[in-house]
Amino acid sequence: MSDHPSPAADAVHEHASVRTYVRVALILTLITALEVGVIYIRQLSPIVVPLLLAMSAAKFALVAMFFMHLRYDVRPLSGVFVGPLLLATGLSVALMTLTGAFLVFGR
Amino acid sequence: MATHGTGVAGAEPARFYGGPPTTRAGHAALATISWITTVDHKRIGILYGVSAFAFFLIGGGEALLIRLQLARPNNALVSAETYNALFTMHGTTMVFLAIMPFSAAFFNYLVPLMIGARDVAFPRLNALSYWIFLFGGLFLNASFLVGAPPDGGWFGYASLTLRQYSPGMNIDFWLLGLQVLGASSIMAGVNFIVTILNMRAPGMTLMRMPVFVWMTLTTQFLIVLAFPAVTVGLIFLMFDRFFGTHFFDVAAGGDLHLWQHLFWIFGHPEVYILILPAFGIVSEVLPTFARKPLFGAPVVIYSGILIGFFGFGVWSHHMFAAGMGPVADAAFSIATMLIAIPTGVKIFNWLATLWGGRIQPTVALHYAVGLIALFTIGGLSGIMHASPPVDQQQTDSYFIVAHMHYVLIGGSLFGLLAGFYYWWPKMTGRMLDERLGRLQFWIMFVGFNLTFFPQHYLGAIGMPRRIYTYDAGTGWAFWNLMSTVGAFGIGLGIVLLLVNALRSLRGGTVAPADPWDGRTLEWRTSSPPPAHNFDTIPPVYGRDSFWREKHGDSRGRKPAPVPATPDPHGVHMPSPSFWPIVTAAGLAIAAAGALIHIAVVGLGAVILVVGAWAFALEHHRNPAHAEQIGNLGADHRKLAIWVFLGSECMLFGLLIATYLAYKSRSVIGPHPHEILNIPLTTISTFDLLMSSLLMVLALAAVQRGDRRQARLWLLGTAFFGLVFLGFQAWEFTQFVHEGLTLQQNLFGSTFFVLTGFHGGHVTLGVALLLTLWVLERRGRLTIQDATKVEVVGLYWHFVDVVWIVIFSVVYLIP
Repeated sequence: MSDHPSPAADAVHEHASVRTYVRVALILTLITALEVGVIYIRQLSPIVVPLLLAMSAAKFALVAMFFMHLRYDVRPLSGVFVGPLLLATGLSVALMTLTGAFLVFGR
Repeated sequence: MATHGTGVAGAEPARFYGGPPTTRAGHAALATISWITTVDHKRIGILYGVSAFAFFLIGGGEALLIRLQLARPNNALVSAETYNALFTMHGTTMVFLAIMPFSAAFFNYLVPLMIGARDVAFPRLNALSYWIFLFGGLFLNASFLVGAPPDGGWFGYASLTLRQYSPGMNIDFWLLGLQVLGASSIMAGVNFIVTILNMRAPGMTLMRMPVFVWMTLTTQFLIVLAFPAVTVGLIFLMFDRFFGTHFFDVAAGGDLHLWQHLFWIFGHPEVYILILPAFGIVSEVLPTFARKPLFGAPVVIYSGILIGFFGFGVWSHHMFAAGMGPVADAAFSIATMLIAIPTGVKIFNWLATLWGGRIQPTVALHYAVGLIALFTIGGLSGIMHASPPVDQQQTDSYFIVAHMHYVLIGGSLFGLLAGFYYWWPKMTGRMLDERLGRLQFWIMFVGFNLTFFPQHYLGAIGMPRRIYTYDAGTGWAFWNLMSTVGAFGIGLGIVLLLVNALRSLRGGTVAPADPWDGRTLEWRTSSPPPAHNFDTIPPVYGRDSFWREKHGDSRGRKPAPVPATPDPHGVHMPSPSFWPIVTAAGLAIAAAGALIHIAVVGLGAVILVVGAWAFALEHHRNPAHAEQIGNLGADHRKLAIWVFLGSECMLFGLLIATYLAYKSRSVIGPHPHEILNIPLTTISTFDLLMSSLLMVLALAAVQRGDRRQARLWLLGTAFFGLVFLGFQAWEFTQFVHEGLTLQQNLFGSTFFVLTGFHGGHVTLGVALLLTLWVLERRGRLTIQDATKVEVVGLYWHFVDVVWIVIFSVVYLIP
């Protein structure tokens, strides 16, 4: 079928090596340790929330890209996941705003 | 041509019956079994259509009772309580059990034919979706039999629906029934997204797909992304009613607006779920009967996508009267006005398609043009509501009832009826009576306008909606009477439709394959099509491929014939299966059990698990299922799990958002900082992260055929998952000892529901991993099964990433 890739097309997308997986796991462990560490450092308290969110997002991205193979798989798979992920994030922020969790604007 | 499984729908069930029947009763039994076990998309489409029509008659009967009650002032035909149940079940039935499944009938029957496929990506999942829908619909309507029909409105606003104000089973039927129906819709949504993206015929690029297929695709994305929002709301409501949580308990810090937000985050996209399929149908009918291509087809497609996308940004226009404040009102007002632009574009494109065309005034065209006229009226009154001050005047009045029905009958139903008249010959092999059809159309058209146009006026002069009677001095009597007369006109129209259909089935003119000189691929095969749809996968020469094949392009140049490509694997058709109906029955029994006894829930759960297990392993060893690579270069199952995980993002996103919104609202302790054990949770988080490492090692081992390592890592992943669950159980126990329960405060309610749902996902993941491990031990997990391991792995990693977010926002962020 000309429009279809060959049946083996899916296998063409090589996944990471075991060494890469282990490295990613080590980085995840390191970030987790940092996450727990920063909450005990008083000097970081003004920026602790964005810091934690950034580290959480980094861990999320590492798992999605390497363990879930989005980095190696065909692009549409990223599209059907990242699109809803962004939508869910936007709606969640809007919901929190509208229910008064953020004082962006009052009722 | 090799045919595995059944090549002809209805032949294979003899296997279940024990051989060819010899008696009339035997033939009847075989026919019944063939329908119960069918996985043929066309038959499932017919089942959806017939079921939807039956529910439509029930919902229509409820509407007629409503209209009879309002026909004259101070009427006492039904009580106020019965009236509440009638308008609740009318709305719920028409939205979830009639219009949506009518659309599903067309999706099922037509989408594979239109894209040149032999079936949907997951035929048994398709059957499961149907049976869950049917049982969900029957469950909802069974409420009438036990004298407890839902009576809190189709929107189910808390606090009306809390146990305090609705103590009976009425609302329980509603919230459980909707959750069952939601499961069906999401399964079907995932199935059709994969089918459309991954199973198109050679040459059928995305922009060559018929507009109906595009609108189907957009609708399915709306379904998988919108339904989780109402599911979250229904879960909260269920926990408030069954387990005494505080999500909507204002005294405990809860917020009633939360329900409205969750409902309308779903509810407004739902409007487009109902209307976009009709837009797709009209976009097929108009070019056929104007005998010219759809004007600006790509723009119509982009407009549909934009409508779907904007649909998620306008939900709070349903809440202008709730007091959200000027900024929120302004934002949603602007977004609502914006959405009129792509909708208007479609209207103009349809009109331009008709302009200068050689019009064939068939009944289908009548309905399509009817949609343009009536939907425009409904759309214009919708723009009025986009202005908060105007909306304040119109909300909860009959003006809104008129607007909504112009959109959902004048738009959705008229579009679906256009499709009914257009594709009936393809589905049945018989023509409908066009003369009777035209009479039926005009009766419907006049009846509809007589029913709903006066309701604009009734609303404008102050008649509120959802009142069961009114005084004679209000001045509402005459137009209410006219509205009731019109409603019976619609009823007569539906009866004539039924007569036309039955006459056609009994002795209608035999339909040729292409009775309308159609443009798309479904007209290229016989009427009705064979079980395998096409003897050879049809070539695609561009948009309106079949038209080009017959008549050439605008200059009459016909494409060079493309030789048929034989399918290298022969024609593989799916075998019928009992497991979809068994699994669906398990779910329905579990839902019913929630209203009867916990033992019945257990029974339903056992049937559900056994059914799902058998369902999953039924074709495990079938080599025809080993490779399912499609147009996108990805396996169907991988694409499906990614779409499902996208849907899960919405579910967990809204659960987490609720936790954060409620985090500091508990009026009594314990509060998060007093009780959360960060060191312990850090260890369990590390455990779950490492389980993801083991999972990828397991997948790598299966891919290289290393059985010992595969077994080791699969078991290791499951073990780490169990350890995580152990940590969670220990944490929950500690919290309960320290006074934090589901019922203690808002923090307890949100914390246990969020982390409990995550724990439920981990439990399912462990069950899947152990299943793979058992298969491996029995030597039934080979390199060819690597995709199955990958799919389970993706689910497992998703559970991991959700926990990464929960760990940060629940435990670490102060």
